[in-house]
Amino acid sequence: MTRAKRLVRCGLVTLRRVLRGTASRAYMRWRRSIQVRVVTSTLFISAIVVAILGVFLMQQVSTALMDGKVKAARLQLDEGLAQVQRDLGNSTSPASEDGSRLNAVVNRLKARSGPSGLYEVYIRDTTAEYFDGYATNELRKESVPKRLRDEMKHAPGGARAYTYGKLTYVGGHPSERGLIVGGKSGQFELYYLFPLDQEQRTLTNVSRSMVGVGVVLVLLLAAIASLVTRQVVIPVRLAAQGAQRLAAGRLEERMRVRGEDDLARLARSFNDMAANLQEKIGELEDLSQLQRQFVSDVSHELRTPLTTIRIAADMLYENRDTFDDPAVGRSAELLQSQLERFESLLADLLEISRHDAGAATLDAESLDMRDLVLRVVGDIQGLAERKGSKVVLQLPGEPCMAEVDRRRVERILRNLVVNAVEHGEGEDIVVSVAADRDAVAVAVRDHGVGLKPGEGQMVFDRFWRADPARARTTGGTGLGLSISREDAQLHGGWLQAWGEPGVGSQFRLSLPRVAGAELRGSPLPLVPPGAGDARPLFAELEAGD
Amino acid sequence: MTGDRRTTLRLRHRRVRPAVAVAAVLVLCATGCANVPTGGQVVTGKPAEKAERVDDPYVRLIPVSPQPDWGPTQIVSGFLTASASFDDGHKVAKEYLSTPNAWDPGLRPYVDVLSSRTVDPHVDQTSANQATVHITGDQLGTIDSDGQYTAAPKSFEADFQLAKTQQGVWRITGLPGNDKAGLFLTKDDVERAMRTVNLYFFAPDEHTLVPNGIFLPVVDRETLPTQLVQALLSGPTSWLNGAVQSAFPKGTRLRGGSVRIDKDLAIVDLTQEARGGNVERMSAQLSWTLRQLSEIKRWRLEIDGETVTPDGSDATQSVHSWDGNSPDGQDPDEQVRQTAYVAATAGFIGTLQGDHAQPVVTGAAGRLSHPAVSPNYQELAGLSTDGRQLVTTGPVAGSPSIHVLLNAHKGARFTAPSWSRDGTLWTVESTPKASWLWVRRPGKAPVKAGHWGLGGRQVLAFHVARDGVRAAVIVRIDGRPEVQMGRIATTPDGSLDVGSFLPVSSELQDAVDLAWRDYDTLAVLGRAKRDSQTLPYLMPVNGSAITSMGVGALGEPRTIAAAPGSPVLIGTWSSGKDQVCRQRPPVTSYSQWICPTPARDPSYAH
Repeated sequence: MTRAKRLVRCGLVTLRRVLRGTASRAYMRWRRSIQVRVVTSTLFISAIVVAILGVFLMQQVSTALMDGKVKAARLQLDEGLAQVQRDLGNSTSPASEDGSRLNAVVNRLKARSGPSGLYEVYIRDTTAEYFDGYATNELRKESVPKRLRDEMKHAPGGARAYTYGKLTYVGGHPSERGLIVGGKSGQFELYYLFPLDQEQRTLTNVSRSMVGVGVVLVLLLAAIASLVTRQVVIPVRLAAQGAQRLAAGRLEERMRVRGEDDLARLARSFNDMAANLQEKIGELEDLSQLQRQFVSDVSHELRTPLTTIRIAADMLYENRDTFDDPAVGRSAELLQSQLERFESLLADLLEISRHDAGAATLDAESLDMRDLVLRVVGDIQGLAERKGSKVVLQLPGEPCMAEVDRRRVERILRNLVVNAVEHGEGEDIVVSVAADRDAVAVAVRDHGVGLKPGEGQMVFDRFWRADPARARTTGGTGLGLSISREDAQLHGGWLQAWGEPGVGSQFRLSLPRVAGAELRGSPLPLVPPGAGDARPLFAELEAGD
Repeated sequence: MTGDRRTTLRLRHRRVRPAVAVAAVLVLCATGCANVPTGGQVVTGKPAEKAERVDDPYVRLIPVSPQPDWGPTQIVSGFLTASASFDDGHKVAKEYLSTPNAWDPGLRPYVDVLSSRTVDPHVDQTSANQATVHITGDQLGTIDSDGQYTAAPKSFEADFQLAKTQQGVWRITGLPGNDKAGLFLTKDDVERAMRTVNLYFFAPDEHTLVPNGIFLPVVDRETLPTQLVQALLSGPTSWLNGAVQSAFPKGTRLRGGSVRIDKDLAIVDLTQEARGGNVERMSAQLSWTLRQLSEIKRWRLEIDGETVTPDGSDATQSVHSWDGNSPDGQDPDEQVRQTAYVAATAGFIGTLQGDHAQPVVTGAAGRLSHPAVSPNYQELAGLSTDGRQLVTTGPVAGSPSIHVLLNAHKGARFTAPSWSRDGTLWTVESTPKASWLWVRRPGKAPVKAGHWGLGGRQVLAFHVARDGVRAAVIVRIDGRPEVQMGRIATTPDGSLDVGSFLPVSSELQDAVDLAWRDYDTLAVLGRAKRDSQTLPYLMPVNGSAITSMGVGALGEPRTIAAAPGSPVLIGTWSSGKDQVCRQRPPVTSYSQWICPTPARDPSYAH
């Protein structure tokens, strides 16, 4: 019992799901396809038009049929009444003889009613006391409706009237609809009753064929609409596909031009546009290629003189105490420090131009992220102590293995930790590591000035500084975070920043465990737990965007 | 140059294509639009079938229920009128009775046929709550519950007992003739509400069918087949009982009580008693009986629900099969023209070929009157010129010697000899006061029939029908010749019983001669009620109206000959000469009589 109920419920659920699925699919098709929309509306509208037309036509046909029938019936009645008038008209004979004469009249009228029962006759003598007239064949007198009898009763002699009613019969003959015409001649009332089954059959046939024709017509219209829209939609669809491919970067995509119509014009304009676009993008690509090449070349070209300058500057620096003028010694020191800065800037420029050129390659190996973090933090320990900050490590107990490029990840981590120390205002730096099935993450938290709203994204811009007033002397080249981000992206990972003024900031590096795998989420939250406002200043921002 | 031409061509193509399309649409419109045709080929149809059918249109009387203020006489009049309506089992007539269900005339009632409805009801005796209404009238005859009409003109009286019910209205408590639930109908009522139909039974030769006309009330056309078959199963009427046999074993009934009709197919399902009967003969009887209904074209015989197939036929039989069992002894569709024999004035007996008599028998035998050739064409019977000797001769060729078979008594004459199809020779010897029927079986001596129903009357003509069971006579009753029909039966002791003569029609006041045209019709020379001249008439044996044949002067017609599918011949005495007349073709009831042959006493072999 319960099992059956469950089965039924299960079936119902499945059915509902299937229905809903079909409905939603249909709705999707409706939304997506002009053709479906056009065909559906054509179907709908033409069905309405055909239905209206059909009803109108049917009315016309049935009116015409009935008019003809009524006319014929009245003629028949006139003839019958004339016969009655002739045979019985001025009868003064006793009622009994009338009876037999009436009988004879009915026999004559019957003879004309035809073997197939074209009509039935009912005649009554209003003065007869013991019988209610004569009817032909199986006709019951109830077939003449009371309203027509009453009409006849009160009508003057020679009056005629007709109505529609139901003809009923004695025996097993089923009743049918009929036209009933009645007339009065002296004391006699004569009714002709015409079964309308032939007309009904004609009407049924006509309506059936009309429905058939209507359905065919509607389907034909829908097919025509479908054909016509196909002629329009297919080129449009091709154009859409072309545009999609174009957008996906396949600039060589072109539409086929056929004929001279509007669609051909569309195709031609599309092709012109695509050609222009390809040309411009090519130019731009060439230009940026040129620029990157230029930067790379400049960096390379600068290296050789820099090396010479560096040797000279080293010499000057080593001998700074030998200069008479202390200012010269000071200059040598200055020269030395700026040269170091220049060198690192040059290295960063080279690195970033390599990224831009797409020449950066991943040299992935399986490493424990904890080791990397420990190593970087160990390197930075001195700087942190100088700044008065303490680096707190939150490492998981088990190894966090991931396929990463050691050099690049170390560079990212170093960048993040150095940044944190520099902007940490002497507060504690928290470095946490976490891993899940697919990804590993390292978050670096400081409690410094934090980031203003919107700066979370800007920190990754090249040569961006949090405080423009701050001297260029402090801090790095301004390319560190950009390069870090490029490195993270090279791994298929994310590098994101969160910050709030006065609360500090947190940078999170999330990397997939397997190099090149897609990253779906991070094991660590971007906003550190308990960091004031639960509402993040900006939602998770994917590094790729 | 060529390029130019190509462009113009293409241009023309372009202009032409829409024009073609428009033309096509117009043509489609013109043909597709509904129109009554104004021409076309001639459509032929088959001629309408035989005019009068059992299920022809009919007229019903619509009865009225008793009114509350009617007195006893009105109640009786209303009841008599209402009993003419068979609708719903006399539902309205029963309303006149105090105990409606005690009276049920059913579908085969006993009927007293009255001449008119004025039965002059008057109250005989009355108290406050009781009344007796006495009616008087003229009775024409009765219809038995088996449908047999018997003419019995007499004056008629009956008493109705009435009582006032608790509602204060008069109702009939006692009907006259309580033993039979009879109806009192006028002649008009019977003509309107009842049909004469033929039931078919087998003659003693077990091959030829004999029609048995009965009166059947028409309730509605859908139950007619059932009524017909039920009447057939219940056997022949008292008139033919003993003279014919039914192939249906006793006790056979319709299973389910009705014949099933499916469009033009009738399914006759009999109870299992029918297994004892001969399927072929039962089929023949049913086929001939059912073919009177125009709606039924095919039928199927079932016994106890199983379809039965007669030998040499399909399970579904046409109603026109079994023509070999025709009462006429031949297929009605074959229309074999029979040879007519005449006694030529030139003194020979010859066959009629065209307008001329071709001599066959000459010499002494050629001078016989009323020659009749036996069905096997081997023997010729005739009368001497004065009609007092019955003579046979054979063979029917050359000048054979004659052989006197019978000599009439003093003052008696023989009627024209008549052969039945089994080779029996019949003639009636008749004086104005008495008559004897002589029968000569093939190869035997003539004997008097054991029972002869018209022994005390003068018989003017005697002809056996082709079925050998019925005989038509012209008999003088109360000084007036009348056409009557009787039946030939064989009593268990082997003697012949020819009797049960009933008048066929009352429309003729005089009759001279008659012949069987077919099993349903007699050709009669007679005088209709208002005529002064003797003329040929076709007289249906079921008693329906007679019709006259042909137009034109015939002189003084004396003899008539007829056969199925052959022209009617009349021997007449005109301008002092014997002539044989026939109708100018095509033979209709309006075609003229012509008398080109100088001869007398035409006859057909059978």
